[in-house]
Amino acid sequence: MLWKDNYELGVPAIDAQHKELFKRVESFLQVLRSKDCWDEKVPKINETLEFMKRYVIEHFRDEEEYQCSINYPGYEAHKEIHNGMVNYVAEVTKQYEQSNNNELLMQQFGGRLLAWLINHVAAEDQRIADYAKKKGGSGSGR
Amino acid sequence: MVDKLYKTFVDATHNVFNLMLNISEISHRPTDNFNCDDEIDIAIGVVGDLQGKVIYRFPASTSLNMVEVMSGMQFEEVDIFVTSAISEIANIISGNVLTALSDNNLTCDILPPEQCKLDDNKEYEIKTSCCICTTIGEICLEIRLNRAS
Repeated sequence: MLWKDNYELGVPAIDAQHKELFKRVESFLQVLRSKDCWDEKVPKINETLEFMKRYVIEHFRDEEEYQCSINYPGYEAHKEIHNGMVNYVAEVTKQYEQSNNNELLMQQFGGRLLAWLINHVAAEDQRIADYAKKKGGSGSGR
Repeated sequence: MVDKLYKTFVDATHNVFNLMLNISEISHRPTDNFNCDDEIDIAIGVVGDLQGKVIYRFPASTSLNMVEVMSGMQFEEVDIFVTSAISEIANIISGNVLTALSDNNLTCDILPPEQCKLDDNKEYEIKTSCCICTTIGEICLEIRLNRAS
C-alpha cells in the first residue's frame, strides 16, 4: 500500500486529501506497472492522469489556503514547490499527448511522481504540521 | 571543508532514508570495498559557490528495494521507472544538502539528475566519497567539487 500512517499531519482536511491523492496515484501506478499490453492500458492511464491533474491543483490550492490561514512562514517557498510540480505535470502531459501516448514517458513520470509525492508529504508538508502544532492549533477546525 | 561536506551529505542521506523509506538504521564507511557490477550512476550537477557534481551510485538491488519500499509493489528489473524514482531521490538528497550549505553561507544550485558514467579524468579540489549502509542495501556518493574562483 502506498499510504503509510506516519504520513499523517494531524490536519484532518489535508490528511483526507492526501489519502485520496495517494489512492489515486496507487491506482495509476498499478495500471502503469501491470503486465497488460500498453495499448490496453492507455485509456485507464489517460483517465487517471486527467483526474490527477485536476486533483493535484485543487489539493495544492486548499493546502496553500490552509498555510495562509495559519500564517505559515514558508508559504511562498512551498507554493513555489507546488508550482514546479504543476508545471512538470503539464509539460509531461503535453509531451505525452504529442508523442501519441508514449509508454516510456509515462513510466519515467510515474517513477518521479512516486518519489516526489512521498518526500513532499513526509518531509515538506510535515513542516507545516510542525508549525501549526507549535502555534497551538492542529487545524482541526477546518 | 571536505569533512564538513562529507558529513552534510551523510546527514542528508540519513534524513531522506528515514523520512521517505522509514529506515533509521544507517551507517557510513569509506568506499574502498564498494564493489558493484550492476550499479546505476546518477549525477547531480552543482553550480554556484561550489561547482562540479555528485554521483550517486545505486546498486540494482538497492534501487529495487527502495522503489519497493516506497510503492509497496514488486519490481523485477531496473527500468526507466526505477531509474527515474532513484534519480528523484538523488535530487531530493542534493536539495537538502544545498539547504544545509546555505546555512553556512554557501550559495549553490543543482542541475536535473542525469544517468552518467563514473569515469571522470578531471581534477577536483574537493574529491571524496562515502558509502551509506542501510538495511535495504548500500549506496555510494562520489563528491567532486571545486570552489568558484
